[in-house]
Amino acid sequence: MERELTNGISRSTARPVPGDARLRPPCEVACPIHTDAQRYIQMVAEGKNAEALGVVRETNPMPQVIGRICAHPCEEACRRGSVDEPIAICNLKRVASDGAKAAGLGYEPPAVEFTTGKKVAIIGSGPSGLAAAHDLALMGVQPVIFEKQPEAGGFLRTGILNYRLPKDILDEDIDYIRGLGVEIRTGAGVGEDIKFDDLVAEYDAVLIAVGLSESRPLPIPGADLPQVLLAVPFLENVNAGRETEGLGKEIIVIGGGNVAIDVARSAKRITGGKVTMVCLEADNEMPAHDWEIADARAEGIEMVCSQGPNAFVGEGKLEGLQIKKCESVFDEHGRFAPTFCETELSVIPGDTVIVTIGQMSNLSFLPDTGPALNQRGILIFDREQCTTSQRGIFASGEVVTGPGAAVNALASGKRAAIAVARYLGVDVSFSHEPVAIAEVPADVSEKIKPAARRQMPVRDSDERLKDFEEVETGLGEVDGRCEASRCLLCGSGARYSELKCVACLTCVRVCPYGAPWADKDGLGGIDAGKCQACGICFTQCPAKAIDLTVVSEDDLMASIARTVTAFGGELELGCWYSQSRVAPDAGFISLPCTSRLSVRMLLHALESGASKVFVAVCSEDDDGHFVHGHRQTRAAVAESQKALAEIGLDPELIELRLVAVKKCMAGK
Amino acid sequence: MITAERKPFDQIKTVTDQFENILVVGCNTCVAVCLTGGEKEAEILATQLRLQRQKDGIGGTVETVTVLRQCENEYVDAVAAQVAGKDLILSTACSIGPQLFADRFPQVRVAPAMNTNMLGVVKEHHVWTEYCAACGDCVIFNTGGICPIARCAKQLTNGPCGGSQDGHCEISKDIPCVWQLIYLKLASFGLEGNLSRISGPKDWSKANSGGPRTMKKEGFKP
Repeated sequence: MERELTNGISRSTARPVPGDARLRPPCEVACPIHTDAQRYIQMVAEGKNAEALGVVRETNPMPQVIGRICAHPCEEACRRGSVDEPIAICNLKRVASDGAKAAGLGYEPPAVEFTTGKKVAIIGSGPSGLAAAHDLALMGVQPVIFEKQPEAGGFLRTGILNYRLPKDILDEDIDYIRGLGVEIRTGAGVGEDIKFDDLVAEYDAVLIAVGLSESRPLPIPGADLPQVLLAVPFLENVNAGRETEGLGKEIIVIGGGNVAIDVARSAKRITGGKVTMVCLEADNEMPAHDWEIADARAEGIEMVCSQGPNAFVGEGKLEGLQIKKCESVFDEHGRFAPTFCETELSVIPGDTVIVTIGQMSNLSFLPDTGPALNQRGILIFDREQCTTSQRGIFASGEVVTGPGAAVNALASGKRAAIAVARYLGVDVSFSHEPVAIAEVPADVSEKIKPAARRQMPVRDSDERLKDFEEVETGLGEVDGRCEASRCLLCGSGARYSELKCVACLTCVRVCPYGAPWADKDGLGGIDAGKCQACGICFTQCPAKAIDLTVVSEDDLMASIARTVTAFGGELELGCWYSQSRVAPDAGFISLPCTSRLSVRMLLHALESGASKVFVAVCSEDDDGHFVHGHRQTRAAVAESQKALAEIGLDPELIELRLVAVKKCMAGK
Repeated sequence: MITAERKPFDQIKTVTDQFENILVVGCNTCVAVCLTGGEKEAEILATQLRLQRQKDGIGGTVETVTVLRQCENEYVDAVAAQVAGKDLILSTACSIGPQLFADRFPQVRVAPAMNTNMLGVVKEHHVWTEYCAACGDCVIFNTGGICPIARCAKQLTNGPCGGSQDGHCEISKDIPCVWQLIYLKLASFGLEGNLSRISGPKDWSKANSGGPRTMKKEGFKP
């Protein structure tokens, strides 16, 4: 497969969307690190988890972590969302990494040589620093990470709880990065154990990726009461297995973001007491992800919305939180500027408050002569080049981007890696931002078969409150493959060659989705937004002006020949959507519908040495995954059988067989 | 377009079995559009031949190449490299293709894989109907835009004949009587009375009856 260097690592370019090589599936466009989700989903659908993990690793340095905690903007963008529900892309990433691990594959880092002779110091081992280190290593630059905590991972370790991200999973992703030759010096606080200027002197470049390591305090009356705690030290204690002093049984968490949810769920697990969240936003405006809020509610956490903290109540010992009604959170420009009704006050009783209203960076390690800060104490930073005011000093992650999802921190770290590498003379460029393919038109959407999204299984809420073990247990093989087969393969269908087209109109006549078009001059094309990648036009085009992007004719022919050579004898050309076999003992090629099989391909299988070819097909009373798909399969097999009879061979050398169960088409 | 259908495989095999190295040549114009002899079909035929020859223990090679139009010297000449070393050129074009290959590559034997049948239209997907007989003297203005030469079994210019039955031709219930169609069409313009005028004798010398035709056009010549 043709590859080019982008983001410092190789990436397939073999799947341009017709008409515009930059048009990509919206999941990939929405992903901050532009992971080719469609390609790994396709592999999961085929049960090739190790290969799928390999695709994830092309852009994602922390596949297991991101497969668990990602905010998955890809799913918001997924075109399947306009048909029924988006693909569970994040969960499928986990299927890939879990499945590969179970098979003992995909966790051995490649051997890396630091060919540039350059060394980079990275301050902070959070997702941004780790991502930068990972990519720099692959570009031949030696990274050394300095981490003040005793263990690597940054906020992934100190801020995210084991029930969402088990520590051994985090360790495995970090170990892979270490395996690339990345040195991580833990317990090495810059500014404390090592001077910043010493790093500048010793290394060819320095990357500041310290994140937002401190809680923002809440300066209201009573803030100095000992039972008023801050989120970051609390989470650090929980994650380190240390007890938090002053934690009572009636806990109030101030804040409505994802970290506040983690704080509340942890407090619930530790104390078993009453936990109430108080936030400025209305119920439907809470900044935390909907699924996080739902999980917290399922665990018995109460939410008090549209209320702002007014004062901590109590003399020497906290007795509660006085709150006031919040009338609006943002001003007309969308800026954070809460307004309150100062007279509508009430008190929530409680013996502990944990303040989770945001985080800030600690840049006290920077000397006065170092990179400049602005008036608000924030690092002055060039977003394009990832540079600070001091030459050779770069920055990435939340210290410069502000709070966001882990995958955004990875993206920032990856960009910084390219910036640093370019500064050090590596011939690499920033990748182009891809453009998303259009929405599914309504007339096409109604022709797409509904298929229920597979839900992530979770431990029972009573059970999971007893410990910090992982709540989500993984989709598993069968549900994973079914979920993956829901993918619409956006933009990976028909690829049209204007040069070879003879303007015969066959594609226009046979496409069930109305994707091909032609004008009076015979100029035409195939609308990638409408194409569903069923393959019918490809099999019918008389001039071979149409190929398929995902599984091109050449690739499929080669795969047929390879499979026949490897397994000898019989070959099954099977169907993703059934997840069942029609000839279990035969060599197997799994396809997104056998409607993409041409007569030539079927004959080619015999020519390659197959003693028999079985073709899976849906029953005639059910149209299967694609409109008219099974009719094309039947026609191709009938034509092939006729061709065999003509030459004096047994037509039954190519045999149609009904797929038994269409596990993945219906709901569960 | 010109339509052509592939010959029965047995007929093709009778020829190809005599040769060792064969080039199947597709044509990506009329026969591609009528879905019988374009690149796709040429590849299928070549694969069939290889499988058959493997089964029958015949050695040699069967390769395939497709040109845009086998009725142009330049396109035919463009595959000289693929023709080199071949004993037989098997063309999936209309009969023009193999003839031009025979002209351009006089040292190589050439065979048609197709039977050329008509000048037709796509009535529906996978159905073609004859509309033109290339008679050289078009009369369809007088017949409501419907050709009595191509579409009447007797090529009558003053129809219908007595074999017109309930709108069908006497030779088959599947074939409409074209003179019935002509009558109805003219009637839709109120011109059915025109049919009482007898058409004079048709000049068949402009058709193939006058011998092979050559068409020339005035204008710039390089």
